[in-house]
Amino acid sequence: MSEIKIEIKKRLRNLQSLPTLPPVVSKLTKMFGNENTTAPQLAKIIERDQVLTSKVLKMVNSAFYGFPRRISTVSNAIVLLGFNVIRTLVITTSIFEMMQSGDLSLWEHSLGVAAASGILAQYLGLANPEEVTTAGLLHDLGKVVIRSEFPSLSQEISALVKQKKIFIREAEREILGGMDHSHIGQLLTNQWNLPERLTEPIAHHHEPSKSKKFFQETAVVHFADILIRAWGYGYSGDPWVPPLDEKAWEALGLRFQDLEEIIPLLDERILDLRFFTQEIRGEGFGQNNTLH
Amino acid sequence: MQKIPLSLARTDMKLAKEVADQEGRVLCSSGVVLERNLIEKLQRLGVKFVTVEGHPIQFPWERPLAEDLKLLRARFSKVKDDPRLQVLHEAIKSYWITMRKEDE
Repeated sequence: MSEIKIEIKKRLRNLQSLPTLPPVVSKLTKMFGNENTTAPQLAKIIERDQVLTSKVLKMVNSAFYGFPRRISTVSNAIVLLGFNVIRTLVITTSIFEMMQSGDLSLWEHSLGVAAASGILAQYLGLANPEEVTTAGLLHDLGKVVIRSEFPSLSQEISALVKQKKIFIREAEREILGGMDHSHIGQLLTNQWNLPERLTEPIAHHHEPSKSKKFFQETAVVHFADILIRAWGYGYSGDPWVPPLDEKAWEALGLRFQDLEEIIPLLDERILDLRFFTQEIRGEGFGQNNTLH
Repeated sequence: MQKIPLSLARTDMKLAKEVADQEGRVLCSSGVVLERNLIEKLQRLGVKFVTVEGHPIQFPWERPLAEDLKLLRARFSKVKDDPRLQVLHEAIKSYWITMRKEDE
């Protein structure tokens, strides 16, 4: 193993202390893994943590999930949305914050892939579309970590993309001794004990055929990534549409007519996200804001 | 038609879609011309967006269609030989062209 690879793995092991996964989240992750955990038990733990409670409620009511009704308590959220959605929400809120504080255009790309994953999952009738949405949001987690933990390597990667006009994934491999963001995402999510339905799309969104248990979900995130890069929303490190995996395309079974139905749904969601991120950027559309 | 935040709605704009509240109840039907009182009422009811006729507002992310199509083509430049992705390219292109024509 190359020296740089060993160094990266060592650093990643110490990332467990990142503020993004506070002890309460680790505790909840364990509870989620236990089949006997009940919804009230879960609500009790979340509600004990005011910060997490407000984060979960903010998230549930944000344009990201786009639920039509306002949800005001965690118990309500669990009853209305179910166990799986809350599980993903808890994981998401913590990581979401880390992404938001970093590069906004990468965050926009991730939000876009989340929205596209949700639309595709619903269109194809997959179980738990909310979890596929979350997998979409987290698919580039490795890039977030590279930027925040290895800033100088990250700059080298960006420079190489520009200089050689290659995909960011290829540049990462050159600079990181053969590793890329999907490996790093995989290492980290395994360390955090995230469920496989999240870790597989993160690890294999560029090569969905490697996915063992959640191939369909991984294929959805793979194509959602392509859709969002094609649309040009956000920036994920290079400006090109990446190659399409043949098996994933066959599994999705999408035709031109399907795309014609999916694209308007995506357009609507991206517009919502643009207003949402505009607000976060502090460039919201207030009463006195004139864009004319 | 264009979807805009209610905070940017002005009198004399005409609704191109009905406005509904979070429970799905219709608050105002399509075709209504906005007046100050109505805008204030919708604000009080928690409405965030309305869809109006035409394309009255230029948002910071909007570009001329020709430029959008040029950038779209550039993004597909590394996968030009994949006919399946060309289908996606075509689908996005024809959607954008149709939407902009409706605005004119």
